Amino acid sequence: MYGWIWRHLPGNTLVRALISLVLVLGVVYLLFSYVFPWAEPLLPFNDVTVDDQQGQGAAG
Amino acid sequence: MPSSTETQETAPDPEPAPGPEPAAKPARGIRTRVAFALSVFGELLITGGIVLGLFVAYSLWWTNVVANQEASRASDAVRDHWDTEDAGPEDPVTYDPSDGIGFLHVPAMTNDEILVKEGIDLGTLNGGVAGYYDEPIESAMPWDDEGNFTLAAHRDGHGAKFHNIHKLTDGDAIVFETRDTWYIYRVYAVLPETSKYNTAVLEPIPTESGATEAGQYITLTTCTPVFTSRHRYIVWGELERTEPVDDQRTPPAELTTA
Repeated sequence: MYGWIWRHLPGNTLVRALISLVLVLGVVYLLFSYVFPWAEPLLPFNDVTVDDQQGQGAAG
Repeated sequence: MPSSTETQETAPDPEPAPGPEPAAKPARGIRTRVAFALSVFGELLITGGIVLGLFVAYSLWWTNVVANQEASRASDAVRDHWDTEDAGPEDPVTYDPSDGIGFLHVPAMTNDEILVKEGIDLGTLNGGVAGYYDEPIESAMPWDDEGNFTLAAHRDGHGAKFHNIHKLTDGDAIVFETRDTWYIYRVYAVLPETSKYNTAVLEPIPTESGATEAGQYITLTTCTPVFTSRHRYIVWGELERTEPVDDQRTPPAELTTA
């Protein structure tokens, strides 16, 4: 998978390494900006309030 | 990170490749395909591990960075608003709940001041503030004659404002600062673990804390144990006295000696 990407990147090793770095940073950016903020409320780590409505995850 | 994934990648990959492919095609083809599938599977596992690691970094570090920035901007806005507002003595506490009603100072827990806003929804609390309950039991305000001023904030991530709530013990000061008044509360009861459905802790007279008559109470709620949301940690305080805010906003003795 990663090997396939590596082989299909243009340029010499240095250029490929730089492109890889940009790709990795881009993926990390997408995760931090969109995926994690979306996933976090769905996970039971950060509900801090008391609540009488069972299963309502929004209050926390 | 790129190097780690790539070294993992180059290791399994060359193995299928060196085989003389054209010579023995059918058998080699299956083995190559199996090896390829295994290497993709392995890479997915590695990727999953890295993503989970990143999620931990996001939860415990990045959300704090974002929330503290947001909270400090919001706090500055509230203080600016207080400075520019005409401070007529007859004028009671005027505020816009969406901006924040004041600041919580808990020297035994944190040196930071914690902005207090209306509401306990995630959008509010993720801004690195404490929120007062608007539901299921509506919070009283500190300036009300009696009632329970009930607050929630994050234990971890998003500013982690109540992270050190376990350091609070009986007699510790909880000071709430509004534009005109310091409200000095004293902790008198702690409930280290309770059900997250225990809304009785928010009642105007929180009987679980031992209170029996109407008074001016404050309740802090957050999750416990740290890094989970299994239970809730509750701290109760009762108003000891109030002090008017002077021109220099000189903090009460509880905050200067700490």
